[in-house]
Amino acid sequence: MIERSAIPKRVHLLWVTIILIMVLLIAIVGSLSVGVASISWKELVEGFKGADSKSYSILMTIRLPRTVASIIVGANLAVAGALMQAMLRNPLASPQVFGINSGASLIVVAAVAFLPNIGSSNLIYLAFLGAVLGGAIVYSFSAKGGMTPVKLALAGMAVHLLLASVTQSILIFDERISDVLYWLAGSVDRASWSAISIVWPWSVAGLLFAIALSRPVSLLSLGGETAEGLGLNVRLMRLIIALIVVILAGASVSLAGAIGFVGLMVPNIVKMLVGENYSRVLPLSALCGAGLLTLADVLGRFIAYPYESPVGIVTALLGGPFFLYLAVSKGKGMK
Amino acid sequence: MFSVERKRGAFVFCVMLVAAIIMSACGSNGGNASSSGKDAAPAGSKEIQHEAGKTVVPAEPKRIVVLEFSFVDALWQLGIKPVGIAHENKDDIDLMLGQKIDYTSVGTRAEPSLETISTLKPDLIIADQNRHEAIYKDLSAIAPTLILKSRNASYEEVISAFQTIAEAVGKKEEGSRVLEEHRAKLEKLKAEIPANENRKVLVGVFRSDSLSAHGAKSFDGNLLELMNIPNAIQNAPGATAKISLEQLVEWNPDVIFMAEADDDLLNEWSKNPLWQNIDAVKNKQVFEVNRSLWTRFRGLDSAEKIAQEAIDHLYPKG
Repeated sequence: MIERSAIPKRVHLLWVTIILIMVLLIAIVGSLSVGVASISWKELVEGFKGADSKSYSILMTIRLPRTVASIIVGANLAVAGALMQAMLRNPLASPQVFGINSGASLIVVAAVAFLPNIGSSNLIYLAFLGAVLGGAIVYSFSAKGGMTPVKLALAGMAVHLLLASVTQSILIFDERISDVLYWLAGSVDRASWSAISIVWPWSVAGLLFAIALSRPVSLLSLGGETAEGLGLNVRLMRLIIALIVVILAGASVSLAGAIGFVGLMVPNIVKMLVGENYSRVLPLSALCGAGLLTLADVLGRFIAYPYESPVGIVTALLGGPFFLYLAVSKGKGMK
Repeated sequence: MFSVERKRGAFVFCVMLVAAIIMSACGSNGGNASSSGKDAAPAGSKEIQHEAGKTVVPAEPKRIVVLEFSFVDALWQLGIKPVGIAHENKDDIDLMLGQKIDYTSVGTRAEPSLETISTLKPDLIIADQNRHEAIYKDLSAIAPTLILKSRNASYEEVISAFQTIAEAVGKKEEGSRVLEEHRAKLEKLKAEIPANENRKVLVGVFRSDSLSAHGAKSFDGNLLELMNIPNAIQNAPGATAKISLEQLVEWNPDVIFMAEADDDLLNEWSKNPLWQNIDAVKNKQVFEVNRSLWTRFRGLDSAEKIAQEAIDHLYPKG
């Protein structure tokens, strides 16, 4: 097929970008203004001037870090998902396939079960460690004797199930943990500046690296052999991408717990809008992921108002039907 | 091509699997499980209405297995020792009853062992609606089973479960007597509380990464409300609700009872200037209370002790 003229496409891309930015802005405003406490402008201004103000404290110490966390986590998960989908050449792939959520969950649950005085401020490091561990196990299994997307997907699924079952068995013996760990459901509502300050450098570095590598990622999405033929060092590239995925998804899992479906949904939405070119897909996924997760978190405050639902439950509610739709429609398309 | 077909096949299979699971789950809730005991009802046995249907229970069951603490308390109040009890910690039952009794442990409340239960050859099993309704059929295959409310139940629901248990073990009269004594004790305690008490109380479980509040529909919240002590968390969808710092500040309790006090969460929150904004913190009305007593046991005896502990904190002597 002959490509359509470049100008309308560029205009189209511009519109998509503008709309995604608008969505993110609306989400940020919503996230800062929705909550049980009503924030008064007058008090806010007084707070900025240095007075002791409740509205100011709520905004600065609760809602703002929460919003920043949802932006970071959303962007990370979406870009990690896009990278996984390119590498596995499968629209249903997500960071979960890399054993990242299950690795982080296992380490966190085991730590809480066996080291009762561990302290939740240390969980952020443990979750990151678990994410790296999960990713390393999957990678080393699938890289043995030459990596293929199918091997990676199978190894990923097997390791994911194995780790998840170990986690489950710990939870059965110590029931308290499943109550203790709100974390398991995935939420951003307790994000603090100190946690964000640990995570953001990793996240920004991961995102920038990913976007800088968008051309080789596009090549890789054409398939290993084609990419090799076009002069790409496929093995090295896969290793680098795997590392970035682990950093991005590990950073978000340690900040907000196991949030599913964002990494699956967002890249697919973006690809529907702008096509398969990853120099567009990656930055727009970051934008769209940040907007979607922030919106989902705002939505979670409405579901059982004035009580809150964890954002991980909201994304699962949105993502479940989307997954089924994807499975059916992609199946049709490929026929 | 093949892989696409296979994927669709797998998808259809998954949908069917999910459908099958849902249908089988519905089937097990379908209440016909109790009919097994109906055929050969010995003399004196009676039909008891409970949360999952009706079950025929022998006149005076002797070997009773219970899967929740509040049921242990109910039987104990009626002078019956259960043969099997589900619990988590070794000393749960000793702490609850204040003395050691002989019983067989039948696993945890979340994961009771059906095998151990059946080796005890019970003639009655009392299980919790929240945790065990899904295994009602399996339990009924071992012995007549009652499904009653305990976990996430209010005080009033626990009292109603007590009455059902008294009837089931053939001690209805004694049950009423015990209940009267219990109510008299609570009335006496209530007399120490001014009728116009308007301080809002938050019963909070401060865990390592979240605060779970026991609202007006929880066992302890409901109990205190009946004693004229208002709860800060009204209209929560369930017995407990997860509360953020923003909500805590906004709903501003006058008194906080901490059933669990994880240092991590408290350290983090107490660094925030908003923490000092909470009236309970400002007025030093934050008290640590016994977790098992306030959140796990849920019996008549624990209700009396909870009321006493609350009064001791709210109205210090001297």
